[in-house]
Amino acid sequence: MDEKKAAILGEIPRLRRYARSLLRDRDSADDLVQDCLERALVRLDNWQTGESPRRWLFTIMHHLFIDQMRKVNRRGEAAMLPLEANEAQAAPAEQVESIASREIIDALQAISPDRRAALVMVAIEGFSYAEAANILGVPAGTLMSRIARGRDELRGLLDDAARRRTIRIVEK
Amino acid sequence: MTRHDFSERDIHMALDGELPVDERVAYDAWLEANPEMKARSARYVADREALRAAFAGVLDEPVPARLQKIVVGDAPAKMAALNSRWWFAAAAAAMLAIGGVGGYVAGIDRLGLEGPAENQLAEQAIAAHVIYAAEQRHAVEVPASDKDHLQTWLSNKVGLKLVAPDLAAQGFQLVGGRLLPAGESKAAMLLYEDDKGERISLFVTAESAEKAKGTYGSEENGPEAVYWLDKGYGCAVVGSLPRAQLTAVAKSAYSQLLAGLAS
Repeated sequence: MDEKKAAILGEIPRLRRYARSLLRDRDSADDLVQDCLERALVRLDNWQTGESPRRWLFTIMHHLFIDQMRKVNRRGEAAMLPLEANEAQAAPAEQVESIASREIIDALQAISPDRRAALVMVAIEGFSYAEAANILGVPAGTLMSRIARGRDELRGLLDDAARRRTIRIVEK
Repeated sequence: MTRHDFSERDIHMALDGELPVDERVAYDAWLEANPEMKARSARYVADREALRAAFAGVLDEPVPARLQKIVVGDAPAKMAALNSRWWFAAAAAAMLAIGGVGGYVAGIDRLGLEGPAENQLAEQAIAAHVIYAAEQRHAVEVPASDKDHLQTWLSNKVGLKLVAPDLAAQGFQLVGGRLLPAGESKAAMLLYEDDKGERISLFVTAESAEKAKGTYGSEENGPEAVYWLDKGYGCAVVGSLPRAQLTAVAKSAYSQLLAGLAS
């Protein structure tokens, strides 16, 4: 196996994690990774040796994700998923999530895809602002405001969820 | 230490390791002097840790063979005809937001994992397709020429607001529809045909009480069904088309049906 393919193989776990944070559902996330890998292999020549395979692959996958979200948005209004609706969704059986994890994953799905991607890129995937802005194809200022708003929105949703939980307990 | 005052923006920068090292001390002092900002920073730190923890397990999961095979497989990389099965999840999420009736569709590529309700729906839909799509003169009860009546009639019988999807972009014209039994309830079947006489059918029932879930059903050497179940309705698209084409048709039909249900 050549070096390039070995390097790509090594990035799959990170790609899967990013996809999972974008789409939540495990199979859908792996489908996104599959599309990304297929596209990457067709364009193997576009990847300059020496360049980080991680940045290259994340860029490809992000484009796939955003393209599809835009198509969806043209049909509907927004891709925001209200927390209530999300709670009704069954988590994949094989996925063991603690209540805290489940709550934050639900909240993450409820913020706008652009903010979600920016936040995840930096907070989970550990890219620098410069790297993340490059991958997402936006100016650094835009990236920063997406991160700030994303964090704020996420915290608001978690506060709401906690409040609802308290109310439920009180009602009992 | 004569730096301009810090702001909330710096909380994010500090958290993300983007604050210049020589400003760190002044920033910490500012945080100490502003309890509200300090509390905010602490909440963000906790959220970040929770986020990382929530997804940490993914890195330890074994890489699915189908993904590995793409990279190390012998087959030459084919021109990317995108699978985009995950599109359904994204589309369903968007539909859910606008209509409140949408479904959450897990990958539609999990043969053999279907529950009984899904099997039932797919089998009914495939059985109906096998019988009626082969009929030349009696394929439908109400022809497409009477489309308004067809939609009203089937909507009333099935108990869902049905709008026959326009599949002209995929090359299919509505032939008509009929009412069918579906378990203890009723189902609407809409038949479509392309200019080569290839037929596909849409099967919609209001019977499903299943939680939002979706998958892909198939029969050996027979027509295949792409189907969805949600609270209050089940829907299948059946045909003997190549899978990519059937998926494209199903995608279009699904979004139009959902939009119709929500209208």
